[in-house]
Amino acid sequence: MQTTEYFDINGRCIPHGITSEHHVKTRRYFVFEQPEIDYNTIHARLVKHLGIENPITAQEFAKRAEKILEKLREDPQCRNILNGVRVPFMLPVQERTDIGECLEQQYISAVKASFEEVFSKNSFTNHHKDGLTGKLSIAVDSRHERLIAEQGEQLVVGYYFPCLMEYAVPAAIEQTGQLPEQFILAGAYDTSAALVGSPDLLLRKSGYPPVLWLAALDSEKSGVSYHYEAYGYNLTFNRKPHFDRVAESWTSGLVVLG
Amino acid sequence: MIPVEILADQNLTPAEKAKREGLKLRKPYVAQKLANIAAMEERGEISPIIRLEKSYLCNFQCTHCSAEYYMDRHKKKVFKIEDTRAKIDMDFVRRLSKEADELGLARFVITGGEPLVMKDFDEVVAALDPDKHYIITDTNGWFLDDERARHLKSIGVEKVQLSLDSMIEKDHDEFRNKPGSYKRVMRAIDAALDADLNLLLSTVLIKGRVKTQEFIDMCEFATKKGVGLYVSYAKPTGSCSDHPEFVIEKEDADILRDLEKEYSVFTHMTPTYGSFKGCITVKGIITVTSTGEITPCPYIDMSLGNMRETSLKEILARGMRNPWLGPYRPDCLIGEDPKFIQFHAKKTTGYTQLPVPWGQGFSDKNSLTEDII
Repeated sequence: MQTTEYFDINGRCIPHGITSEHHVKTRRYFVFEQPEIDYNTIHARLVKHLGIENPITAQEFAKRAEKILEKLREDPQCRNILNGVRVPFMLPVQERTDIGECLEQQYISAVKASFEEVFSKNSFTNHHKDGLTGKLSIAVDSRHERLIAEQGEQLVVGYYFPCLMEYAVPAAIEQTGQLPEQFILAGAYDTSAALVGSPDLLLRKSGYPPVLWLAALDSEKSGVSYHYEAYGYNLTFNRKPHFDRVAESWTSGLVVLG
Repeated sequence: MIPVEILADQNLTPAEKAKREGLKLRKPYVAQKLANIAAMEERGEISPIIRLEKSYLCNFQCTHCSAEYYMDRHKKKVFKIEDTRAKIDMDFVRRLSKEADELGLARFVITGGEPLVMKDFDEVVAALDPDKHYIITDTNGWFLDDERARHLKSIGVEKVQLSLDSMIEKDHDEFRNKPGSYKRVMRAIDAALDADLNLLLSTVLIKGRVKTQEFIDMCEFATKKGVGLYVSYAKPTGSCSDHPEFVIEKEDADILRDLEKEYSVFTHMTPTYGSFKGCITVKGIITVTSTGEITPCPYIDMSLGNMRETSLKEILARGMRNPWLGPYRPDCLIGEDPKFIQFHAKKTTGYTQLPVPWGQGFSDKNSLTEDII
């Protein structure tokens, strides 16, 4: 564990103690713009599009989410993460099932519905035509099993931080292991829920936003992963070989649960 | 799991599928190589289209020409010099074809200059070997009549990329500095289609044009004709160096991305046939200049190496390990990234003999975060 700050002044996770490919410095060319955080609106979208039964109230959602930020703010080694982009999310109770199947049948369609509801002139396209059932599993050392386990027991509230900017997918996994225990590498449900609640997360008009990897999940093939990506004013889901390399436009997310 | 090549085929229109079936019958080796591309990319191999600039002779002098600075007329008139560097010959072209084939590369574009003024055009096609490679030619259309189109087809050319820069005749002719060129393009479109050549219209997008009715008219024209409209962003290189106002903004690119939903229009970064490469430098395209230098893009005047000294395989590897060129990126490097544009301008300024050699522009020391000035 390092003793200095984990995140830089822009909220990017500072690469530390990892050997997989990553950029030490960034020129911040592919960046996000902070979506508006209106807990009532985000709550309503998540409840509607993820079909959350017996949800907590918007007030409770906001309270739990804000508590996550408060704890991070109090931690001098972690508080810089709040200088970066973040969005709250909520996940329904879900008994453990096939992640790929669930992503395809529930979460991707929820992202599409939310995105196209807010941006009626634009579209969401799932370019992956070959199905996801049986193809996704939790990557070792991603800590993502904790999120899945918690979701099996209760509704989950969390904050999503796309702060592993310019890390190769293996580097994102490796870096997560170097961070304090509360940080979990984002996978399918949390990343999708972040986009359901904040469908403008990947919308950027003045420049290009990053590609958002589901880095906590191993796919059916080594060196290949799934991701969300903007295409102009539109949003896409796709699969891409990354060959464990780094690109300036690649980002993975961390989540903190509360 | 469905094999990637079949997934790629799922994205084809019935007309495209029919063309591929036809190619399979006529040129099975070429068809197989094209079918292998998706699987190659899945393995981390690349399959760039090779643009061959054997000659820069041209009967036009276009406002936005990316090759003008390579032309003898420019060197003589502006720099008062002659290019004494050794030029590539047919043995070089044959070697290029062989090395490309060994790497599984499948596509050549003969470009220039204006290819159809080349006296040795047919010889170049033969040296590339149309039974081993899918041969495409660029043209401004001036010389492409029925007879020439049928001849191109007969010698093994499969596709023609025809430049059209405005649906307004006067504007096209002015942009191309050639009265009568619009009419010749219209004639060439029909000639190419009648000769059963695959046809692509190619147009340059300058800032703001995407919002004009003229551009929509062009999209509609291409779509009704059943041909693709390939849109190239104006880049701040070549003759366009004098027109920085031509360079597009992200809004232009984004509007164009939306038009792709409605029209048969695309850029080099448009996801096609299941392939999502983003900027295609090295990964999807390279250019071989008349002196044997290989550049990663038609608009980047910095070499990755000379094929007389270095194998094609190593030159491609240099490109793929370069941080600007190899990694995936969704934008156009030379058309949109201000820092790279600045880097390119700094490295190329003062060079009268382009491209800038390997080691003086691109090198294994390049860094995304190095200071430019």
